[in-house]
Amino acid sequence: MAAGATQQQLEKAYDCVVVGAGNGGLAAAAQLAVQGADVLLLERHNLPGGFATSFKRGRFEFEASLHQFCDVGPPTDKGGVRQFLEDDLGIYLDWVEVPEAFRMILTDPGEDMDVTIPYGVEEFIDAVEKEVPGSRESVTKYVDLSREVIDALTYLGETRGNPDKKVLTKKYGNFLKCCPYTADEVAEALGVPERARKILHAQWSYIGPPTSRLNFTIYGAMLYKFLVTSAYIPKQRSHEFSLALDARIREKGGHIEYNTSVEEILTKNGRVVGVVTSKGDRIATNHVISNASPTLVYNNLIRPKADVPETALRSCNARVNGVSAMVVYLGLDATFEELGINEYSYFVYGNMDTTKLYEGFKVLEATKVQAVMCLNNALPDCSPPGTAVLSTTTLYQPGVWEDVSPRDYVKVKNRIAADLISDLEQALDAPLSEHVEEIEVATPQTYARYTGSYNGIIYGYEPEPWDSLIPRMMMMGDDKLFEGLEFCGGFAFRCHGYSSAFMSGQTAALLTLRDMMEEGRVAQ
Amino acid sequence: MKLRVRGHIRDLLGFKGLVPKRKKRFAKSPARAVGVDPMNKLARRLHPAAQHLVVAEIKDETKTTKTFKLVADPDSATKELACFRAGQYLSLRVEVAGARVTRPYSISSAPFEALDAGGFYEVTVRERQGGFLTTHIWENWKVGSKVGSSGPCGFFYHEPLRDAGKIVGLAGGSGITPFRSMAREIVHGESDAELLLLYGSSDQDDIVFQRELGELEQKAPDKIKVVHVLSCKDVSMEGCERGFITADLIKQYADVDDSSFFVCGPQAMYEFVEKELATLDLPRRRVRRELFGELEDVTRLPGFPQEVAERTFQLKANIGEVTVDVPAKATEPVLVAMERANLAPPSECRSGECGFCRALLVAGDVYIGPEGDGRRAADKQFGYIHPCMSYPVTDLEITIPRGM
Repeated sequence: MAAGATQQQLEKAYDCVVVGAGNGGLAAAAQLAVQGADVLLLERHNLPGGFATSFKRGRFEFEASLHQFCDVGPPTDKGGVRQFLEDDLGIYLDWVEVPEAFRMILTDPGEDMDVTIPYGVEEFIDAVEKEVPGSRESVTKYVDLSREVIDALTYLGETRGNPDKKVLTKKYGNFLKCCPYTADEVAEALGVPERARKILHAQWSYIGPPTSRLNFTIYGAMLYKFLVTSAYIPKQRSHEFSLALDARIREKGGHIEYNTSVEEILTKNGRVVGVVTSKGDRIATNHVISNASPTLVYNNLIRPKADVPETALRSCNARVNGVSAMVVYLGLDATFEELGINEYSYFVYGNMDTTKLYEGFKVLEATKVQAVMCLNNALPDCSPPGTAVLSTTTLYQPGVWEDVSPRDYVKVKNRIAADLISDLEQALDAPLSEHVEEIEVATPQTYARYTGSYNGIIYGYEPEPWDSLIPRMMMMGDDKLFEGLEFCGGFAFRCHGYSSAFMSGQTAALLTLRDMMEEGRVAQ
Repeated sequence: MKLRVRGHIRDLLGFKGLVPKRKKRFAKSPARAVGVDPMNKLARRLHPAAQHLVVAEIKDETKTTKTFKLVADPDSATKELACFRAGQYLSLRVEVAGARVTRPYSISSAPFEALDAGGFYEVTVRERQGGFLTTHIWENWKVGSKVGSSGPCGFFYHEPLRDAGKIVGLAGGSGITPFRSMAREIVHGESDAELLLLYGSSDQDDIVFQRELGELEQKAPDKIKVVHVLSCKDVSMEGCERGFITADLIKQYADVDDSSFFVCGPQAMYEFVEKELATLDLPRRRVRRELFGELEDVTRLPGFPQEVAERTFQLKANIGEVTVDVPAKATEPVLVAMERANLAPPSECRSGECGFCRALLVAGDVYIGPEGDGRRAADKQFGYIHPCMSYPVTDLEITIPRGM
C-alpha cells in the first residue's frame, strides 16, 4: 500500500452518512446538504448514479438504464421531480420530452396488435378507443381512478401520513377500495375490454410483477403521471442527472467519496453510531440513510450482527424480490430513418398474458418481453451522423443465472442476446445485426457488479397489494428497526421506478432532518 | 363513479386488512439470514477488484522480449484466475521505488489456459530502452515474485454478435500478444473464428513467437494463417513479405469485404496502417483498434501548446480528506505526476478509454489529445478528466477518488 494511503483516511464525524449514490442516495444527500446538514455520501463505484449512468464503447455513449423519467413535466407545469430538483435543490437540467408514450407490438401468432399510443389523458383515451371501439367509458373510469390515486397520495403527503379519516373516506373512497387489488382485478371490475387492457397495461415491465400480482395503485399512479406530465430524459443521458446532483451536493458542503463501500453500519442499543468502509475509515455518525436495500443492510452490514432483530430478517424473507434485467446495447452504423424505426419507445411482447410472460423470466432463454429504447428518436444528436443507438431490455429472476459458471457466462449471454436481437429484427422488420458497430450485453451479474444490488436486482421488492405503497406507508413506524436508520431507493417505501426511487431520497432526508432537529443537532 | 371490485364492504375490509396481512406475512417467514447472493458472487469471480499473482516461469522470446507466466499466489485470497476473452489485458500494479504504478499488458496466453487449478495468464513484455517500468521488471521479476493485478479488462476481442467470422489481425512488434491469445484459443477449438495474421517486425530476430505461430498454423491450417512482414533491408527469411503492411498486401491475403480487422502495435504502426486501411473504404464496424497505451510524445499531437512543453506546473490533488501539492510536467499525464507523488491513484487502461482514473478538474486547464478522449459527454460538461490522457497546461487542482 502506498504511504499516502493511510493519510487519505476519513476521520471526521458527520451528521449523516448516505450509503450509495444511486437515485435515492443522491436525492437524500442533496436534500440534507441544501438544508445545511453535514453529510457524507459513500459510493462503491467511481461514478454517481447507480443504474442512472452511461458508458462508452467506441464512438457511442449508451444510456445504461433510463427509458423515461416520470413526473418531470414541463417547466410551466412542473411535476414532482422537477419541483424537487428546481425548487428544493436548485438544480436546472436540460430535459428533453420524449416524443410519444410507446408503440406496442405483440408478436405471437394470432396476436394482432401494433399500436402507437400518445401521452395526454384525452389523446390516450382516444387512441385506445380507436383501437378498441367501445372501450372509452371503462378506460376513462380506469384513468379517473388513477387520478384519484394521485390525488389521494398528494393528500397523504400534505398531511404527512396523518390524514383526516373522514376526508379520506369521503373524498378518496375509491382509492381506499382499490388499494387491496391488483391492476387486473381493477381493470376487470371496471369492465375494461381485454384488448384495451393490453394497451393500458403495456408499461407493466417498467415495474416488473405481472398485472395479476401488481398492485393497482402503483400502476395507476405511474400511468396517470405519464399521461399528464409526459416523460422526459436528460440531454446527456442519466449520467448528466447524476452529475448535477453530485455537483450540487459538493457545492452545498457535502462530501462524497467514490471507490468506497460501506462494509459495516455500527449500532449501539438500537441506534446507529457509525460506519466502517472498505478503505478502513471509521466514521462516527448518528444517522445513516441507506440506498442499499434492507436485505443487504440487515443481512450483511449491521454490527453487532446479533443486534439485528428477528423481524428484520423475517421481513426480508417475506418480501418478494424484484427482477433483474438483461440489456443489449447496440451502436448501429445506420440511422433509424434508414432502418425504418420511427418511435422512441417500443414494447415488443409475445402477448400480454403477463403472468405467463413473467414465467419466462425464470428460464435461461430469450424472453418474450422487450422494452426497446431508440435514443436518437428523442435525441437526434446522441450519436455521430449516420449512426443510431438502440437498447433493448428484458427481465430475469436473477435465480436463473445462478448456475451459470464464469467460463460459460459469455456464451450464455451471447446466445440469449442473439435470440433477442433476432426477435427484435422480426418485430421491427429492421436488419439490426447487419449494422452492429458496437455491442454490449449486460446481465444481472453486470448490475450486481456495478451497484452491489442484491442479486443484481434493478427494481425493489415487488409491490403486490399487501406490500405496496400504502401498507408500507402505514407501517413506516413498525418498519423502522434502528434509530437513525432510514432507507431510500427502489427498495424503500415508495416502491421502485426512476422517479419513485429518486423522490424516496427526499423523504428519507426529511425524516432524518426532523430527527436531527429533535436531537438538537442542526439549526433550523 | 363508485368503485366496486368485490363489493363495498369487502373492498373496505380489504383496505383495513392490508397492514394485518403484511404483519402476518412477516411473522410467518423464516428469520433465516441470507449470505452473499449468487450474482454478486459471480461478479466477483468474473471481475475481481484485485488478483494476487506470482511469477511461475520466465521465458525469453527474443533478445528484448520475455514472457512471464503468472499464477494465483497460493498465499493470497486469489484462489482462481478470472476468466477473460482473448485480446483482453491486465492492469498490473507494480511498486517502483516506493510509488505504485499500473501498466496494461495484453494477456498473451489463451482464455482456456486460465481455467481450473493450475490456470495461468501469460504477459509478454518488450523491454523499452530506458523504460521506467520494463527496466524495473527486467531487474526485479524472478520466479516467485508477487505481482498485483486488476481483473481482465478491455474490449479488443472478437465478438461474434458484431464481427465477421474472419479476423484479419494487423500486428506490429509486441502488438502480437493479443493475437497469440486468439490463435491459441482458436486452435484449441474454443472459438469458431478464422485468423489471418499480418505481422510486421523490423527483422527476423525481432519476431515474437515465430516458432509457435508456425506450429499453430500447422495445427489448424484452415483456421490460422500467419504472414510475416519484415521492414529491414536484408531479409533472409523465406516466405515472408518485405516492407510494411500496405493496403495492397492486405488485399493480396485478406477477404477484405468479409473480414473484421483488428489492429495492435506501436503508435507509428497505427498511423501507417490507419492510412492504408482508409484506402480500403471499410465500414467502421469492421475495424477495431487496440489502445495506444501511454503516448510516446504528446508534443507531436495537433493542438498541443508547444509554449508550455518545457514547463512544470503545480498540481494540487484532493484525495480523501487530504490535499497534496505535487509537481506536474506539461509533457507527462496528470496521472503520472500523482503516481510519482505516491498517491496511488486508480488507473487501468492508461489510454483515456476506461475512465477508471476519472477525476474532477477543480481549477486549471489540461490538454487532451484528439484520440485519447474517452470521456462521457456529461463528464466533459461537468469538468471531469481522465488523468491518464490529460496533460497540464496551467497549475491544476483536481479531486480524485482513492485508489484500490
